[in-house]
Amino acid sequence: MSELFVVGISWRTADVAVREKLAFREDELSSVLAAVTGALPVAEAVLLSTCNRVELYGVAKPGSDAASAVRAFIADDRKARSNDVMNAIYDHRGPAAIRHVFRVASSLDSLVVGEAQILGQLKAAYALAGGAGTSGPVLARALERAFRVAKRVRTETTIARGSANVASVAVELAGNVFGKLEGKHVLVVGAGKMSSLAARHLYTNGAEKIVVTNRSPEKAAALADEIDGAAAPWAELETLLAKADVVISSTGAREPILTRALFKRVMKARRWKPIVVIDIAVPRDAEPEIEKIDGVFRYDIDDLEKVVRGTLADRAKAAEHAGAIVEHEAVQFEQWQRTRGVVPAINALRGHFNAIAEAELQKVLDQLERRDHTPAQSREAMQRTIRLVINKLLHQPTAALRGSAADEGSLRASVLADLFGLELAADDGSEPADEPESGGPSSEPQDPSAERKAQA
Amino acid sequence: MTTPLLSVAPSPAFWVAAIAYAAAAVALFAVLAGSTKLRPIALALVATAFVAHGVDIGWRGTLGVHPAASVREALGFLSWILSGGYLLASVRYRLTLGGVVVMPISLVLLLCARLSPAGSPEDFSALGRIHISLATVGVGVFALAGALSAIYLVEERALKRKKFDSLALKDKAAPLEPLDRMSHRLIWVGFPIFTVALVLGAMWTARLGENLDRPEYALAAVTWLSFAALLVARQIYGWRGRRAARLTLAGFATALAVLAIYLVRRMLG
Repeated sequence: MSELFVVGISWRTADVAVREKLAFREDELSSVLAAVTGALPVAEAVLLSTCNRVELYGVAKPGSDAASAVRAFIADDRKARSNDVMNAIYDHRGPAAIRHVFRVASSLDSLVVGEAQILGQLKAAYALAGGAGTSGPVLARALERAFRVAKRVRTETTIARGSANVASVAVELAGNVFGKLEGKHVLVVGAGKMSSLAARHLYTNGAEKIVVTNRSPEKAAALADEIDGAAAPWAELETLLAKADVVISSTGAREPILTRALFKRVMKARRWKPIVVIDIAVPRDAEPEIEKIDGVFRYDIDDLEKVVRGTLADRAKAAEHAGAIVEHEAVQFEQWQRTRGVVPAINALRGHFNAIAEAELQKVLDQLERRDHTPAQSREAMQRTIRLVINKLLHQPTAALRGSAADEGSLRASVLADLFGLELAADDGSEPADEPESGGPSSEPQDPSAERKAQA
Repeated sequence: MTTPLLSVAPSPAFWVAAIAYAAAAVALFAVLAGSTKLRPIALALVATAFVAHGVDIGWRGTLGVHPAASVREALGFLSWILSGGYLLASVRYRLTLGGVVVMPISLVLLLCARLSPAGSPEDFSALGRIHISLATVGVGVFALAGALSAIYLVEERALKRKKFDSLALKDKAAPLEPLDRMSHRLIWVGFPIFTVALVLGAMWTARLGENLDRPEYALAAVTWLSFAALLVARQIYGWRGRRAARLTLAGFATALAVLAIYLVRRMLG
């Protein structure tokens, strides 16, 4: 059977310094997915690369150790086969993988438990794999179920309450320095989804203006449109920094853009007014040394985690409840996986039983409506109908059992006993109980009044 | 000849004030550490200390001991200005950390003022009294600015080192920029007062025919220069934040040193 697996690295197992070695840019994802499904024993694959985790969800081809192959592939592809990287990579298989996917989607495995971004990122990763043709039926079922579980967790628990997502943390950090955000200017460097969310959150908390800058003017303009900000040319970065109070940076650059030399000039130009730099890019956009300059408050993705720790306690209780939901859903999913082969049979059986019962019930009700009956006659009519229904239901299986060969017959008998919870009497040589003559599938119920006349 | 007025025993109100200051400091620390339910009690203790302290000053006044009658009286008055300033700021801001800083300072200043030996009698002219009054108010305002600067530095350090669970950051109502701004405004208020006090002091010293080469005079000049430099650097170069806070504290420290020298000199007679 095709087994679901997860191979990855996350904030739980690795610092940003290790995670950034394995991070994939968005434009690399399709080719990596193609390589994984093309060269490895992987039937289906979805790749998620965020600042806090890089995870590949896959379905192994039967009889293969796909997870180990993927682990080695990722390390080789990123040219990061060092011990610290290899030790940080984890894998989950089968039921453990399902639980992990459900937990990730429900934000129970997130740096900020209860944050909403991960669900969107997972959906985007799934859509991207769909576009690349590497997603398949097993992952589709697992992920779509994961999305439903996530929705259930968010609506049934308090896990999403409070302000413990990256955007809220940005507001809190800016608040530590500025107090109220009224009149403050926000500069978004790069066009990352997380940074736009953070910028919007700052804006709704009172910040006066959002300016977006990006190496690509089109992307800057698009993001600025989306978040009611203004786009500005990348060449003006230094001037923009001098005017900004909060900078949110999340470019895909491999080298730091916000350097110490740049900030020395910027701080002088802004007359040492404090500036909060929230660097959520991996690899990081801001040199850590800039925080040595007076008035510069720099926070990277790992620092956000520290802020969050303080508020996470409130969500711990909700997470317990959410964990129970995830566990329940995972068990149900496993049951569903196991039973999905017999579901058509169950449905057909139920349909068959219902059809017979409905038909006979309708007939007897029609008869009872047409004539006046004494209560005793009505009871008798109902009893007859029930016997009739039972006989009709049992007619086909009884005939099949009688007609089966000796070996097959005893096997069928034991299956029946198991299915219906019967205790079979020892064979004492007696004849099997016959169906009443009126019990055949084609026989019609007798008119109770005609029967009464005959008896008279 | 001993002047009895200068050696009046502390009033009962003094003891109430001293105990209330100590209790307020402890309570505010507890609030900072998480027992937020104690906040009203802590503020009530601050108010009690302030009122009792005021009553003590008034009681001494009825006995003819003016707040500007001597350096030790001025210290008591300075302490009162500090706690009053804190109380006033508390109405608008939730400055728990500020209280943890200010209350012990007020207590120590009050104890120095009331429990130190009286020393030899002093005969101040009106000029001398105005000088001492203005200098006390000026230093009191600088002390408030200094307290805000101290809080700024503690918070700034915690933020730079990313110690978000630090007690310094428990007070969400005292963010860095407003602290810096308030401190700067206080210096703008205190500086002219202190300047006038310094000029009057120089005139008074000249009238007494004393030399100006005493260390306290030099230190007072350093205090004035520190705050003057701070205001100029902020105006011209935009200096603020950590550098401004350090300079404020340095200025306040020299002002305290001046007071300490006065106090010791008077005590020794």
